[in-house]
Amino acid sequence: MSAPAPTLSNYGDNAVLVQWDVDGFNAAVSDQVHALAAQLRQGSGFIEVMPGYDSLVVSFDAATMSLCAAAEQIKSAFDTGAKAGSESKGRVVEIPVSYGGADGPDLYAMADRIGQSPQDVIALHSERDYRVCMMGFIPGFAFLSEVASQLHHPRHATPRAVVPAGSVGIANWQTGIYGLESPGGWQIIGRTDLDMFDAARAEPFLVEAGDRIRFVPK
Amino acid sequence: MSAITVLNGGTQTTVQDAGRPGFRHLGIPRSGAADKLSFAIANHLVGNAWDTPALECALGGLHLRFEQDTVIALSGAQMWAQINGMNIDLNRAVGVEVGDILTLSYARAGCRGYVAIAGGIAATNFLGSVSTYLPAALGGIEGRALKAGDELTLVSGPQGPVNTIPNGYVPFLSGHAVLRARSGPEFDLLSPDSRRYLFTTPFIATPATDRMGSRLRGDRIVTDQTFAMTSGPLLPGTLQCPPDGQPILALADGHCTGGYARGLHVIQADQWLLGQIGPGMRISFRRCFEEEAPEILQTRNAMWGALIPGFSF
Repeated sequence: MSAPAPTLSNYGDNAVLVQWDVDGFNAAVSDQVHALAAQLRQGSGFIEVMPGYDSLVVSFDAATMSLCAAAEQIKSAFDTGAKAGSESKGRVVEIPVSYGGADGPDLYAMADRIGQSPQDVIALHSERDYRVCMMGFIPGFAFLSEVASQLHHPRHATPRAVVPAGSVGIANWQTGIYGLESPGGWQIIGRTDLDMFDAARAEPFLVEAGDRIRFVPK
Repeated sequence: MSAITVLNGGTQTTVQDAGRPGFRHLGIPRSGAADKLSFAIANHLVGNAWDTPALECALGGLHLRFEQDTVIALSGAQMWAQINGMNIDLNRAVGVEVGDILTLSYARAGCRGYVAIAGGIAATNFLGSVSTYLPAALGGIEGRALKAGDELTLVSGPQGPVNTIPNGYVPFLSGHAVLRARSGPEFDLLSPDSRRYLFTTPFIATPATDRMGSRLRGDRIVTDQTFAMTSGPLLPGTLQCPPDGQPILALADGHCTGGYARGLHVIQADQWLLGQIGPGMRISFRRCFEEEAPEILQTRNAMWGALIPGFSF
């Protein structure tokens, strides 16, 4: 899979958006996003360097950096290294998951709708490694790379008021892990007991963008 | 030994400082004082460095009893403030004595009042900041809003002599906020009508307004065609435009990623005012041109930096 060239645009007066034009998940683009993020983080002057699936936003103090200077810095970082988009060498983190039942209330209904058995859904979901593409919207929520095509399934039309921390879900082609209890619309197929985020821990975050995740059925 | 006893926490009072920038890629918003300017003014008045931890009281209702003599200052939202039933001025350092009781009424204009105390409020540090972030219970006092019975302690004695802010400098807060904004990344995907409405018609902040964001009501703001956006990074000050047409303005604790069109982004120099948006407030966006934004910022930084050492927007 090859990566299209990204375009840069202004995001207000204190941020620049780097956007790749792709449909769905593209591993080569994801490599470039994270290579560029890593490179920009080494430099100084940016406040936030925020990688997404197919985009990257950097923010800065508009009093000390101009939009043009920021764009120049991004372009040169991209051309000198990130373009090659080295395959990320993040850690592989194993996440034990208990699928179905109270931990994965949507497993059976979802399996039914996509014409698979629950066992097949579990097997398909846990057979591949995923990349952590993006963290957020809340602390510890890990947005992961693409699931097997048989597992693509839209979100709930009406989000649940409460999704427990550690829930593993599917939304269209994405899979992810809820870091904290929060409202959410993803199809919840399982849950891990690991704390994705614990402020009291020496390493508060279990994973970072760029890491790889392997789900291990319990 | 506690310096302050909370008699009533009010609608939502939290400990805030300048926030924890640089962690949005981990899902941690900057947080910090929602109105950075009023927070800095309150601290400066009592002789603190501008970014010293202080109390942020949304909408009012905070009652405190002082257990030691100290100096306080209030800035931000227009609240009636009284000590032992006697009115005190906002935006001025006021000495308080053991046993004095401070009461803040409902905000008449603006949303968030700041109470700075000489020396600053001691609270839990996380990633270099004591700012309270309620959704993940970070920082502050056990990561939550203050409640009756809480005992607060101070970081230190007074940091320096009290200061004044010259008349006319303190921003006037009314029920109508005019925010200068630049187009966001998906501005061009909005319908032509929506693009015009954004800069011409006022919106009203609905009761769905907190430190994370403010849901606005007004003319429908929609994209030209339905488009499925892949979730991407989001910054405070960005107006997100979901398909139902009612935009959401991201504030200090706003989500780090979003999946809706990012229509506008409030310029850095005006972002402090986002912290004064409360339910019922009218909001207008004024288009700011690319060349204009840095000039506005430099001018305002020069003015306030000269008054408050180290402060910039």
